[in-house]
Amino acid sequence: MLRYALKRLGLGIIIVSVAMMMLFAMVYVIPGDPASVALGPRATQEMVESLRARMGLDQPIWIQFARFYMSAFRGDLGTEVLSGRPVLTVVLEQLPFTLTLIAGAISWSVLLGIPLGCIAAVKRGGFVDRVIGVLSVAVIAVPSFVIAIYSLLIFAVALQWLPAIGAGEPGNVISQLRHLILPSLAVGLGWVGYIARIVRASMLETLEASHIRTARAFGLTDRRITYSYALRIAVLPTITLLGVGIGHMLSSSVFAEIVFARPGIGKLVYEAISVRNYPIVTGAVLVTTVFFVVVNVIADIVIGALDPRVRASFD
Amino acid sequence: MSNIASTNLSRRTVLAGTGALGLASLIYPARRAQAAGSILKVRSYSDIQILDPAFRLAAPEGDITNVIFAGLVVATAGDKWGWRPMAVETIEQLDPLTISFKLRDGIGFTDGFGQMTAEDVKFSIERIADPKNESPYSGDWETLKEVEVKDKLSGLIHLKEAFAPLWTSTLPTPSSTILSKRAVTEAGGKLGVEPVAQSGPYLLKEWLPKQRTVLVRNPDWKYEQGGYDEIHIHPIEDEKTAELGYEAGDLDYTWTSVSSISRLKENPPADTTVVEKPSLAFVWFGMNKAVAPFDNPDVRRAVQYAVDRKAVVDAAYFGAASTSTGIIAPGLIGHREKNLYDYDPDKAREMIEAAGVSGQTVVLDILNKTERLTAAQVIQANLQDVGLNVEIKQNDSGTFWTLGSKDNEYHKKLQMVVQRFSMQPDPSWATEWFTSSQIGTWNWESFDSEEFDKLVVEGKIELDDAKRDVMYKKMQDLMEESGCYVFLTHEVAGVMYRNSVAAALKPNGEPVFAEFKPA
Repeated sequence: MLRYALKRLGLGIIIVSVAMMMLFAMVYVIPGDPASVALGPRATQEMVESLRARMGLDQPIWIQFARFYMSAFRGDLGTEVLSGRPVLTVVLEQLPFTLTLIAGAISWSVLLGIPLGCIAAVKRGGFVDRVIGVLSVAVIAVPSFVIAIYSLLIFAVALQWLPAIGAGEPGNVISQLRHLILPSLAVGLGWVGYIARIVRASMLETLEASHIRTARAFGLTDRRITYSYALRIAVLPTITLLGVGIGHMLSSSVFAEIVFARPGIGKLVYEAISVRNYPIVTGAVLVTTVFFVVVNVIADIVIGALDPRVRASFD
Repeated sequence: MSNIASTNLSRRTVLAGTGALGLASLIYPARRAQAAGSILKVRSYSDIQILDPAFRLAAPEGDITNVIFAGLVVATAGDKWGWRPMAVETIEQLDPLTISFKLRDGIGFTDGFGQMTAEDVKFSIERIADPKNESPYSGDWETLKEVEVKDKLSGLIHLKEAFAPLWTSTLPTPSSTILSKRAVTEAGGKLGVEPVAQSGPYLLKEWLPKQRTVLVRNPDWKYEQGGYDEIHIHPIEDEKTAELGYEAGDLDYTWTSVSSISRLKENPPADTTVVEKPSLAFVWFGMNKAVAPFDNPDVRRAVQYAVDRKAVVDAAYFGAASTSTGIIAPGLIGHREKNLYDYDPDKAREMIEAAGVSGQTVVLDILNKTERLTAAQVIQANLQDVGLNVEIKQNDSGTFWTLGSKDNEYHKKLQMVVQRFSMQPDPSWATEWFTSSQIGTWNWESFDSEEFDKLVVEGKIELDDAKRDVMYKKMQDLMEESGCYVFLTHEVAGVMYRNSVAAALKPNGEPVFAEFKPA
């Protein structure tokens, strides 16, 4: 198990290193001069040159590359040139909002997806199963920004049940939860469909397993067999799915954060790209990549711990 | 116990009921969550990055610095551009080169930085003007000689040359903001996002990045009082999101998108005033005379005749904006009444044929915004009609703003562009980008005219409004005669606010937060 875990960890480090290389290259591949964009039209050429120097953009590429790696490994992501604030501070201010949004989205997808998948499996082939099937495919097919806009129009503008913008009052959990409902629904609704389909398929397979037949033979109720025995096994694939899904949710969160004017990493990166604020872009993407890799490594290790076949296949 | 059993109240039922109640408690009308009427919730189009008036990056930062730091004077709300004293008791132009001022006695800086003095005025103004400090706003004080301190509260501002924009676009802006010399020096010469030594009618109480900025009334400010105890400024980049936030009851004031103005005016949200304001911005379609086929003046003139400006503007701005006659908006010195060249497709077709460029493909670069794309598509159809094929190239903002820079090789290939600049209410702000020294910086059309360059310099030091009017009209004539420019529109600004708010807006719709009051 230790060998398995170390291999997963090593793979994670390689992924982060490659991501860093791509981030560094981005500064040279994407057109646009960050210094002139940042300073605006009234800046003189001397001011632009001075800012380029402060950003280190006047140095040879290899020096910039070495500085970038060494600083990143020390946990120093640099300073945001215009405001003078540490990039790590800026990123860590925004990260909790995105993590909360993703946690909310996962909650929606698990709380709705697992019961729906379970019911569809139990009512296999019936009307309920077909309705759930159609709904699942429908929510998978609809992009998250469409869900975001319609949920905002219905629940915030027309009915005025929920707030439309922001992340809620600091320190007020109820306010923050109210502000989380619609954005997390927008990000998580598609995953309700995925999880319902996965759980249904997994449940059908599990319900045919020999230990379930044995349980039936012992006279246990269908309810107990379904929820206490079959479901526990059937939900395992959702862990893998959610591990991968977090990456997808991170990208969906950009739309949700813009549409709902929520703070968060997605919006931070989006705005930073438009003004070529590379320290923020590289810092935010690096932190997000590390987070994504760590989550996936943990998911892999948990699955490996639960299922010896996974460990064996990796060896 | 038996009674409970008889109601079949199981653990599962209790959990489900509690969950449902919890969820229901979160979903109640949003309006009930709004705070008391002494809080004004407004939208700004970007978050703050720096609250140093000398280094402000965008208008929302200027809106905030204008209320947390006292300036010599401040812009007023209304239908005409104007100003009123803020930190000064008196301010007067003694002669074209001298302005005297006397500070109000008793304006204090927070954080223990004492009283505002004439020494602070000298420090703040000379700090912006000094090229060594690299303030992007040094041009606001480009003819400053020095600020002379007469005594604790009064002094003289000496200019090397007369400076016409002084009273329109320098003094009533954050460029006249007075900072504490001691506070800025102790902060290392520059303020960040956490301002020290505030002095205005409001104080910055809280900044939550990407969430909101909270301003509270300054209890020590003894002069014109703001109308609200608190102002919450929410940074919302997307105009449509802001509109929805307003309609959901989360905002009391917001700018709207141009495309929504007609809809909102016809069918405004409940208890709302929708206002349409003329903008100072100017949008034009430019041709780079340094690149073929636009190095041929006949081709440029043909394109001027080919573009149906009204169709372009109507399509791009949903009929809400009017066509423009130049780069200087109505109401300002130098505004022209009419264009020199207008839509004449037959003449354009003849000239394109005669120039031998019929059937050629040219590239039109635009910023990837909906109205620019629509404008470009109509221009594309217009030019197709007279024999020129147009390829539209959309660019994101980071790329677009460097297309004409001499540091970017692309400037040697740039053919046509739809461009938009904004400005302050003085015509010198509009013309300074089109001098020959700006070629390769902001003059992307390579327009070069010695007469124009001379007039730009003279226009800034001429104090007679009538003479300036003639000069700036002449400058726009020169631009249009060059064939490089097709002036499209000044756009329009849409604003909406609750009827319970007496909004204080400048002529172009920009907010003056300190003057907002409950209606």
